[in-house]
Amino acid sequence: MPSERNSIIISIFSTSSGNGKTITAINLAAGLAKEGYAVCLMDLDLQFGDVVDYLKLEPKYTIADVQRQIESKREDFDVKDYLTEYEHEGLKFSVMAPPETVWGAYRIDVTVVENIINQLKWFDFVILDLNAMFSALNLAMLDISTIINYIGIIDFLPSIKNFKVGYDTLIRFEYEESKIRLIENRSNSQKLIKGDDVERLVGEKFSHRLPNDFPAVNKSVNSGMPLMFAAPDSALTKSYKELARSYTNRQENVSPPVEQVEAPKANIFSRVLGMLFN
Amino acid sequence: MPYRVILVESDKSIRDNLSNTLKQSEDFDLLSTYEEANSALSQSGVYNPNLFLVDIDNLDNLRMLPAFVDIFPNAIILGTMTDWNANIGYRAQKAGIAGSVIKPFQPKEIIDSIKMYKKRGQFKPSPIITFFSPKGRAGRTTLAALLALSVAKKSNESVALIDADLQFGDLPIFFDLEPRHTVVDAVHDVKLLTPLAFVPYFHEVTKNLYLLSSPDRPEYAELVDAAGLVDVVRMAGHVFRYLFIDLPAGFNPLSIAISNFATINFVVAMINTGLEVAHMKRSLDLFGEQHHTNEHPIFTRVNPCNDEQKAKLEAQIAHPITAIFPNEYNLVSVANSGRILYGLPQNTLMMRTIDELADKIIAGEL
Repeated sequence: MPSERNSIIISIFSTSSGNGKTITAINLAAGLAKEGYAVCLMDLDLQFGDVVDYLKLEPKYTIADVQRQIESKREDFDVKDYLTEYEHEGLKFSVMAPPETVWGAYRIDVTVVENIINQLKWFDFVILDLNAMFSALNLAMLDISTIINYIGIIDFLPSIKNFKVGYDTLIRFEYEESKIRLIENRSNSQKLIKGDDVERLVGEKFSHRLPNDFPAVNKSVNSGMPLMFAAPDSALTKSYKELARSYTNRQENVSPPVEQVEAPKANIFSRVLGMLFN
Repeated sequence: MPYRVILVESDKSIRDNLSNTLKQSEDFDLLSTYEEANSALSQSGVYNPNLFLVDIDNLDNLRMLPAFVDIFPNAIILGTMTDWNANIGYRAQKAGIAGSVIKPFQPKEIIDSIKMYKKRGQFKPSPIITFFSPKGRAGRTTLAALLALSVAKKSNESVALIDADLQFGDLPIFFDLEPRHTVVDAVHDVKLLTPLAFVPYFHEVTKNLYLLSSPDRPEYAELVDAAGLVDVVRMAGHVFRYLFIDLPAGFNPLSIAISNFATINFVVAMINTGLEVAHMKRSLDLFGEQHHTNEHPIFTRVNPCNDEQKAKLEAQIAHPITAIFPNEYNLVSVANSGRILYGLPQNTLMMRTIDELADKIIAGEL
């Protein structure tokens, strides 16, 4: 029997799709596993989750099977048997796969997901890859999270609006500010808006900045491997390593935030940003 | 010139009341009143009327509307109802009349309703066009906005754009405006509204294009239930000639209820890692299980954007694709700065494809 312990639950959340949640979740899971921790990654983008495809896994069971077992109150059921293992060069972590069909996803019950996470106690870390919405499931997951990684790419005005609206909503819902970690993705890509402006807008600093490395991410997705294997030398890989270490008390010399690329002046942005400030 | 009116009303006290109202107004010349449509139909010709107010609470009258349209092609025909009923309103427009008014009414309401229905365009029910995407960042909202603009311009009929992406709707930013009313207000009030009183909930974005915005706080989305939104959509269909609805990403009670109801359901995915093709297929499978036949897949950011690529994608999803769009960098900066009304990159493949699709919508070819 695994020893009783409470896992650290880290959720990856954002308010726009395509912000790098899944890549972050996978590399955080891999990074923590590399540090020797027992890690479970749950793909809670139930309808259109990509974890299984990004890692080229072929799960025998999904969370829908677990729900069936829990609902039929089977006593000999062990959630452990329903996880899919990712393993490469000695690195291991577990994945809870999302249902195979959209309809299956639609039927997943929030209390069942909570129940499952309660049964995953032997893991040091449970990483939750959420989708971009304030749904009943996501709010329940944010409630039980130790840390919320709130991630954004700030290259597009609607995304920035949604980043601020989402953060303000989290605060209004009384999530502790210390629990929410703001992460800027593609922080060094060429864009019209600076991270500093967004910090000013949101009223909170980014706790971590991920550099842009599209080719590395592509390699990782195509090979089905986390960045540490697919692109070991990428600055993004290093940045994820630091992010993982920031949750382990094993931080070494954390490198300073990535330098911003000088952005061209754009008056229209300051004006609309000004509007958003009010 | 006052309107030359024939009033058809089954209920005597309402008939007397409405007659008095019309007689007191200089805008109307009440020619005759009838208890039922049959007599009105056979006798009114002698008066040369140009406006009929027909009680359509009476279903026999409702069934005779096509005959009115046929015999009096140059007259305006308005249905009158005691309470708004979306089914009856739809059947009345399907019969070819301008629209309906709620009684009792003031003379000005009739004048304003006639203006509104004339501005609406052809006297036909509205196509309801939804934009669904499995995940966000698919170009769904951009497509909805551009198509709505194009149809408004080309058809010269009224177009409503409803931002049903209730938590993170982006349409007000695209058009750089701050609307006073939102979907939440409309859903809250719809049961008490008349078609005429419904129009001010929409913000006039530009000629013929009207926007009903999403709320500014995600939690207000809780206040909108699927049934309420369906009510809003049905009334909007009565007062606007085309409805474009931007749905939230993924399947939820709201997107399912509205897409069940749609005439055309665009399913939009953006090519990025390639997994989007699988997401599209999963979505089409689910719609298929619900026996939908009106799904129209669209892929955005297709490169190269040509027939060969389209055929390849069609083979992958085992479904015909309605349109593919190339990446258009200029469009991002246009949408980014709220200049969508003024700064569109004309004469690009992107805009040509939009215009072609708009033509097909107007011609009813989809």
